[in-house]
Amino acid sequence: MAELERECEVVVVGAGYSGLAAARDLARSAVDVLVLDARHRVGGRSFTDVTPAGFTIDRGGQWIGPTQDHLAALAAELGVGTFPTYTTGQGVELRDGRRELYVGLIPTSDPHGAADGIAAMLDLDLAAFEVPLDAPWEAPDAAALDAQTLATWFDAHLGSASARAILEVAVKAVFGTGSGELSLLFALFYLHAGGGLTNLARSTGGAQERRFAGGSQQLAQGMADELGDRVILGAPAESVAHGPDGVLVGGRLVDPGADPADPSSAHRPLRVRARRAIFAMAPGLCGRLAYTPALPGRRDQLCQRMPMGAVTKVHVNYDAPFWREDGLNGQIVAPGAAMSATFDNSPEDGSHGEIVGFIAGDECRRLEGAGAEVRRELVLADLERAFGPRARTPVEVVEQHWLAEPFTRGGPVAVSSPGALTALGPALREPVGPLHWAGTETATEWCGYLDGALSSGRRAADEVLRALKGEPGGLD
Amino acid sequence: MASTEELLEAYTEWRARSNANPRLTKMLKGWDRVIHFTTTDTGQGYTMRVEGQQLSELAVGHEGQPDVVVTGTSEDFCDMYWGDLNPSEKYMSGEITLAGSQQDVMRIDAISMVAFLDI
Repeated sequence: MAELERECEVVVVGAGYSGLAAARDLARSAVDVLVLDARHRVGGRSFTDVTPAGFTIDRGGQWIGPTQDHLAALAAELGVGTFPTYTTGQGVELRDGRRELYVGLIPTSDPHGAADGIAAMLDLDLAAFEVPLDAPWEAPDAAALDAQTLATWFDAHLGSASARAILEVAVKAVFGTGSGELSLLFALFYLHAGGGLTNLARSTGGAQERRFAGGSQQLAQGMADELGDRVILGAPAESVAHGPDGVLVGGRLVDPGADPADPSSAHRPLRVRARRAIFAMAPGLCGRLAYTPALPGRRDQLCQRMPMGAVTKVHVNYDAPFWREDGLNGQIVAPGAAMSATFDNSPEDGSHGEIVGFIAGDECRRLEGAGAEVRRELVLADLERAFGPRARTPVEVVEQHWLAEPFTRGGPVAVSSPGALTALGPALREPVGPLHWAGTETATEWCGYLDGALSSGRRAADEVLRALKGEPGGLD
Repeated sequence: MASTEELLEAYTEWRARSNANPRLTKMLKGWDRVIHFTTTDTGQGYTMRVEGQQLSELAVGHEGQPDVVVTGTSEDFCDMYWGDLNPSEKYMSGEITLAGSQQDVMRIDAISMVAFLDI
């Protein structure tokens, strides 16, 4: 089919929160902008969907908490309401064949272990606040911190095995990895960016405080609606030629209904010529594009050394949130279980029940080949232990296996392995000629979250605007 | 409602146990602060100081410029000082509120939970 050629001032690759926020700022500044996304939908890691049983679920990022001001402002602007995560009652701890109830932030069946865990979280958070958000690689002792993993820090600071098990659950839920995969410097930066591990682990008063009525993808859709036909969907980018004269992004425009991940799908070749480009994706995905000339080694190495976490988000839908009748808040902490952390994710009116949980890190990778039936059995067995026999008979179990998503390749966020930040950190945001980098991984506040995605997009848009103004023929 | 006498009695117990807990005093290192308590039911103010990794006696009334302001019912404060109430539960339900810098709030949250669990 005939090639489709488009020209614009700025091309944005990725129509998640970050790319759309960037494009919207540019369009509002009268810049001619086009947004490409590989999928036939906007939203990226935010994905609201209707299940076979007819329930609306958020398959990806879904929460909003205090100090996520970019996200709150966008929701207010678009008129998308929020409601509090259900937290009334007790949580359930499943461990070593035992079932214990708890209230508050962490399970307390071993009180001294829990105290040890809380003291360690405080130590960790106080250390995190010492790491500068805009340049973690300039932290005092950055090299030493970046040469260790978070696991090393736990080994040195946590005496209690039970506390370690609980904190590993929190780490897995936050990063989608075990503590042994994370550079300590990166982990401290990330915790600082989100107000500390305590804040990230909390519902009320923390990162999981509220949800969006009708789902989080509405915010992406709202931004896309403003951009109108400047957003081109089903358009996977594949190659990037760049130089002083601008950038040429090559890819495919896939027919509606055809699979964009399948190169043999019906498509037209797509070429977009622009003066500047913003790549609003995780570093690992940026690294998969073919650049001419090749990216500087530091940028490419950074892309190689910021792997995605691994997560399967599991939605278990019931006809009612029956656990509430027993005074339970739907939270499970189950060290070592397939799904080690859950929340009550029912709609605001409680018209049906939903437990959402995460199979993360090694469990996610280990169980990937086991099949959905095996995962379903493991999940339902633990839910039955936690909530009783009714948990055995859900209306449906719906998985979102982010690890295998062709245009995400993991989740919830990219992490940094030891040594990468100190050696390569500045390459995270540093433009390469006309190429600019956005995505929540480049955010300095709420990195890894929807809020960070928005602020990163806006930062990249600002960078591009300033660059265009400085160029011959640029903006006034 | 708890009277000031009852509250002071419970606090004195809590303070003695807290100041004798090495994990807790370690968490107070480098954190000298003035903390105001305000009861919502009896409308009474109290002041606690943290100095040199030790908790002071509880003064009746608000003294000095507070770093953290803790608000709740006299009953909940009493129960917390007696060790019968997990303060974390009350923070999460919003029945006890903490106001101050993020780091100070984080610290008092952690300290009060450790005081509950570890004594």
